[in-house]
Amino acid sequence: MPHTLPKVTGTIDGLKFEVSPGTTLLEAAKTLGITIPTLCHHPGLPPDGNCRLCLVESGKKLLPSCVFPLRESGGAFSTQSPMVFEARAFVVTLLLSRAPKDKNLLKLAEVYGAQADPLLSDGEDGCLRCARCVRACRAGGSEAIALIGRSRERKVAGPFFEPPIDCVGCLACARSCPTGVIAFGEEPRSIWGRDFDLVKCPRCGRPIGTPEELKRAGLTDPLCPDCRRREFSASLLELPEASFTGY
Amino acid sequence: MTQKTIQVTPSRCVGCLNCELACASRDWGQYYPAGSKINLVFFKDGGQVPVTCFQCDEAPCLKVCQTGALSRNETTGVISPDPERCVGCRTCVSVCPFGNINYSKVGRRVEKCDQCQGQPRCAAVCPSGALAYVDDAKIVRERRRAFAESFKEVVKEVFK
Repeated sequence: MPHTLPKVTGTIDGLKFEVSPGTTLLEAAKTLGITIPTLCHHPGLPPDGNCRLCLVESGKKLLPSCVFPLRESGGAFSTQSPMVFEARAFVVTLLLSRAPKDKNLLKLAEVYGAQADPLLSDGEDGCLRCARCVRACRAGGSEAIALIGRSRERKVAGPFFEPPIDCVGCLACARSCPTGVIAFGEEPRSIWGRDFDLVKCPRCGRPIGTPEELKRAGLTDPLCPDCRRREFSASLLELPEASFTGY
Repeated sequence: MTQKTIQVTPSRCVGCLNCELACASRDWGQYYPAGSKINLVFFKDGGQVPVTCFQCDEAPCLKVCQTGALSRNETTGVISPDPERCVGCRTCVSVCPFGNINYSKVGRRVEKCDQCQGQPRCAAVCPSGALAYVDDAKIVRERRRAFAESFKEVVKEVFK
């Protein structure tokens, strides 16, 4: 029997939870079926607590639930209190000053009765500075981009605001962006001001990926997925691959 | 605990595409061949092969996934995708030796065969038995018998 640490217990909105120590408050709420709104949270990436939308109340204190690990039993949290509601409305107002046209944000604005404040308008570039892109990049093994600068100057960019040399052009950043504002091109491949070559499949000529991307994956003589499937199937039937007719 | 596998017998395949239809309609609700996780490869000189994920033991896709979007069920041995955790780096697509994992730009998620969590539709609709959902042990037994049959002839030659 493996040694297990005692479970942490407590309540969220009056419902009792029991989770392993270290589970975040957000995950604990999820096990109870309580939905806490999030923007910067991505289940596949380490939490960062940047957007502050997931704030919950615990004894007149506000906590960002996505980065709050539960260690002690007895906590009582509220995700619906007036204090939480007010705080989230303020957060949405602030976020709206950066992304006033984002669909998810506008939905949240409706829920919390928030409106964009023209006085707070901050470039309106659509980026929430949530760093999901930065974390996605790091998860992929590159560190091409980062949050640079502080306060109003803060933005996601490559080193020295130049096209990042460590970027492999995998586009994970753009695909994990909650507002979808990262501009990219699929074919030809371009992102963060960099243009990439595309390696073509030697059999069918379809682009497979950038040379940097394939190097990261450790591939030396790549074929496109369709041609790999074809090669394997031909070997099963002991047929020359040239006799392939289609899918 | 026995593990079950989708057994593919290319010689039995009649090329009806029922498996692709059944597979695509599970996730897309319509016949959308690009969304199918099992694919038929056709050849001129007769024959077609249905190919889908083999749930490799040393799975390259599983090794490269850094966000936990691919995970293996230790009981069944099946590798399932978790679209919520996928960031779309497509490294798994590059490294699969058989081209059996796909990233859907439309659905913004990684797509691979998860054997329908124990009830594969492709095998259920296959009219000719080219796809069968069977115990691993049964496949091994069949292969052993086939080899023994071929060996029998040799033994006869030598000891007659």
